[in-house]
Order: sequence, then C-alpha cells, then structure tokens
Amino acid sequence: MNTVLILLPLVLTILYSLATVPILVWMERRIAGLIQDRLGPNRCHIKGVRLGGIIQSIADMMKLVFKEEFLPSHIKNKFYYLVAPSIAFMSAFLTFMVIPYADTITLGEQTYSMQALPTDLGVLWFLAFAGLGVYGIILGGWASHNKYAILGAMRATAQVIGYEVAMGLSLVSMLITYGTISLNEMVSYQTQSFFIIPAWGIFIQPIATIIFIVTAFAETNRTPFDAAEGESEIVAGYHTEYGAMKFGLFFVAEYIAMAASGALIVTLFLGGYQLPYLNTADLVNNFELLLWGIIIFALVTSVLFLKWMQKHNIFAMSGINETKLYTTLIIGFTVFAVILMSYYALANSSQSAKEIGVMLLQFAIFTVKLFFLHFVFIWVRWTLPRFRYDQTQKLGWNILLPLSLVNIFITAVVVVAGVNYGN
Amino acid sequence: MGTRIVERHGNTFKEKIYLPAIFSGMKSTLKHFTDNLSDASNIPTLCYPEQKPTDITPRYRGVHRLTHRKEDDSIACVACFMCATACPAKCIEIVAAEREDGVDEKMPKVFNIDLLECVFCGYCVEACPCDAIRMDSGIYSVIGDKREDFIYNKAKLLSIKGISKEEYSLAK
Repeated sequence: MNTVLILLPLVLTILYSLATVPILVWMERRIAGLIQDRLGPNRCHIKGVRLGGIIQSIADMMKLVFKEEFLPSHIKNKFYYLVAPSIAFMSAFLTFMVIPYADTITLGEQTYSMQALPTDLGVLWFLAFAGLGVYGIILGGWASHNKYAILGAMRATAQVIGYEVAMGLSLVSMLITYGTISLNEMVSYQTQSFFIIPAWGIFIQPIATIIFIVTAFAETNRTPFDAAEGESEIVAGYHTEYGAMKFGLFFVAEYIAMAASGALIVTLFLGGYQLPYLNTADLVNNFELLLWGIIIFALVTSVLFLKWMQKHNIFAMSGINETKLYTTLIIGFTVFAVILMSYYALANSSQSAKEIGVMLLQFAIFTVKLFFLHFVFIWVRWTLPRFRYDQTQKLGWNILLPLSLVNIFITAVVVVAGVNYGN
Repeated sequence: MGTRIVERHGNTFKEKIYLPAIFSGMKSTLKHFTDNLSDASNIPTLCYPEQKPTDITPRYRGVHRLTHRKEDDSIACVACFMCATACPAKCIEIVAAEREDGVDEKMPKVFNIDLLECVFCGYCVEACPCDAIRMDSGIYSVIGDKREDFIYNKAKLLSIKGISKEEYSLAK
C-alpha cells in the first residue's frame, strides 16, 4: 500500500501526459471535424472496432515510431540537432511533475502527497520548465541549418520574451492573492467561498486569469500564437528538417505542454481537484450521500451515452458487430460500477476506505476539468486565425504587461488593506 | 465619379481588446460543434463505400459506353476513327471491318478503350458523328486486379447501360 500510494502520482503523471496524447490528437481531429461540419477520422479499425476513431491515432503513432530515422547530411551540429526534440519533450513532461491530482491523503500515521514531486515550489518549477521548453524549439531551429527552421526559431524566441514577462507577472498577482507558492495550498484556498461565489481564481482574479490563459496559449505554441510553425509562411517552422520520431517528439511535446498548461490553469484558477463549496473533510464525512449522487449521475449519463452511441454508430465495418459490443460494454460497466458503489454506500466502510474513495473522486474531478480545458484549447485553435508576429509582440508588451502590472498593484492594495483593516 | 470612403474596422476600444470578437467567434464554432455532435446526420460528409453519391447526372463523364441502333439493336458505331483522332490520350484502338448485314457500310471489329490512359476529357463523345460513344454510364469507380482489366473491349462497352433517358443512338 505504501509503495502504491507513493508511485500513484508518478503513474498518473505518465497517464495524464503521455497516455493522453493519442486521445488528444483524436479529440483535436474529431472536434475540428465537427466544428467544420465534417466527421473527422472514423474508419481506421481493428477487427471492426473503431472506438470512435482513436485507432487512427494509434496507427499514426506506430507510423511515426517505425519510420526511417534519417539525418540530413547538411547538418553540422548533429548533437544539438538530435538533443533539441528531447529537450522540448523532457521539459514539457517535467512541467507536469508538480501538479497535485488529489488532496494530501492520511492513512493511519502516514501522509502521502498526490504530487509526483512533493515540493512546495510548484509555481516556480512550472515557470522554470515551461520556459525551458522553448529552448528545444530554438535549438532545433538553429541546428537544422535551414532558413525556414531558423525563422521559426527566431519567431519563437521573440515570442518568448514577449509573453513570458506577462505570464510571470500574472502569476505574481495569484501568489499575492493565495499567499503561498505551494499548489496544494492554493487548491485548499479555493475551497472557500465568498457569499455564494466559490473562491476560484477565475472569480477572484479574472484579469490575471485572462492574461495567464492567453500567455499559456503562447507558451504552448498553439493557435492563435503558433507563428513559430506558421505553415502558410515558413513551411513547418522549427521542425521543417525533422522526420519520423524526432518530429514525433516535438509533436508529442506540444500536446504534453498543452496538457501541463491546462493542468496548471485548472489548479490555479478552476479550483483544482476540488468541487466548489466542498472541501476534502466534507467529502469524507458525507461519503455515502456522495456515492448515491455519483450512482444517479452514472446511470443517467450512461443511458444518454448509450442512446447517442446507438443513434450515431450506423455503418458497421467488417468484423465484430460494433454497436452490440459497445452496448454490452457500457451496460456491463455501468452495472458493475453501480453494484460496487452501492456496496460501499450501504456497508459501513472504514475511514481509510472513505479517504481513498474521495481521492479517486478527486482524480476524476481533476480529469474532467483538465479535459474541459483541452477542449477549450482545441476549440480556440479551430476558431481563431493566427496572430501576426508583430501583433503578438504588441499584445504582449503593450497590453498584457501593463495590465498585469496594474493588476498586481490593485491586488496588493486589496490584500494589504484586507490584512490591516479587515475584520 | 466620387471617392468612396471605405470604413476601417478595428479602431474602436471594443475591437481593440479582441475578447468580444473572440467570444462571438467561439460561440459560433461551439454551435456548429454541439449541433453536429447531437445529430451527425446533418453533416454532408459521405461515408463512401456504405453511402453512394446520389447526385450523378447524365452529364457526368463516367466510363464510356457504345450505343445501339434503335431499329435493330446493333452497334451504332461506323468505325470512322473520329474519336480515336480526337483523343488526346490516344487510348482508343479501333480496327474497322466491312458490315455484311446491310444496315451500314462499316463497323468496328475491335474497339478497345484503355481506361488507365483515358483522361475522361469527353472529346471522343463530342467528336462522334453518330452518337455512338457516350460517357453517360454514371460509373465513377473502375476496379481491376491487373492492367488488362482496365482495357474495355467492344462487347464490354456495348453492355454498359446509360443513366440518361435516351438509351439508343440519336443519329439518323
């Protein structure tokens, strides 16, 4: 149990970053399709099972892995050329290490932190590694010895100094508000509520939220700030000379960076793993009530999902009858989950069982919020055109920077006044 | 001629802070997304092998066919080589023979179209003086295992049915 609970956040980090990449690629393509009145990839299948098209991203991944690794002969700095994608990948991956997935859990004497790296330096760690990710891009663009690649790298460089200041300053105002740099404590702060509004970062610091989300888009190199790879002007930007899994690492790094930024936005502004109004102790105390709520929710959603699936799964591929398989799976899984949860709701379960149950629920809440942010990232990408390079600069230096400074000033005044004259 | 003043956009405060325009754009894309997610049947995408296109008209240039005469159902072609001459891809091979049954003077003994070379330009149809070759079959997909499968001979071309109302050759 001890080892399991220590390893759990590490495993979750790998799940949330690496394992979600095929799902994110699938989400990206299907959502893009639906937004543009298309269907998106839905035909790739294994013995007739398509999983709504996820098989396509597995096939894409396999293609990238098994493609020939070639090294363009004009490249002189082979070491930098090869190390660049790994820097981009590693820093995106390491960014994820400090995100808390659930509240600190106490079983008997032992206390376990649900962060892969149990440190209080959460925000600083994020800033350090998120900034480092751009070095992979710059190094890759420079080592490629290619005009388009170096143009992309230079755009990335200029963009970094444009947004990174505003991003740091918007975080500073959050630090002043929460009075801590530990991400876990920030989440517990957000379980309070002012009158009827939960004290989520998005409600108490709307300007910092907007600035941080905008700069997070720039930091992950996603539309509308993806000038570094602007395929309409500079072929593919910094990864023009990369192929096979070297390109794949850049590609995966982009999605992991997106997941990491999303996770930080969830933690800072959307209440992290907590439900509004309810802190962990409330959840543990009303565990049975909570389980009945989840059972009803699970029943309703699975019935709705089943109906939706049977309506839309029209064309069967050769092989297994897909609709039948999914219907069996959904009904079977729902029945299993409901029986399991009713057992725990009816039986007088022990304190530690309740704590673990609440922890699992918090994982689920975090996942739902994270995937909502993934959806927002994708949704924005397929709505907005790319900002011109000088517009990004202007936005960063002329608008976001002064705005975040003003925001810090106001926050500081309110916090100091609250501390000295409040109560 | 007066000068028309074109109104420049993007200078008001509302437009400069971007966010209202961004949110209205996101609202529009979200509407498309939710509409299509709740009812995918409105999406015009064809799931091809299961759904076939329904908008193929007689004017669609599909696989060629050779027409028949209305009087006796025999071949309408008189082997004049006009189509083979007009063909930019040189994919039509004709060997002429004398017609013994008295309906006409000449007919093709061999009439081969190599569909792998054909560019489906329709010049052969326009060149034909006897309305003997047409492309109104509506066939858009030709499948074969080997190269020979794509060379359509006289019997094959005569057997293809058209999708237009005029089944026979209109030539007098």
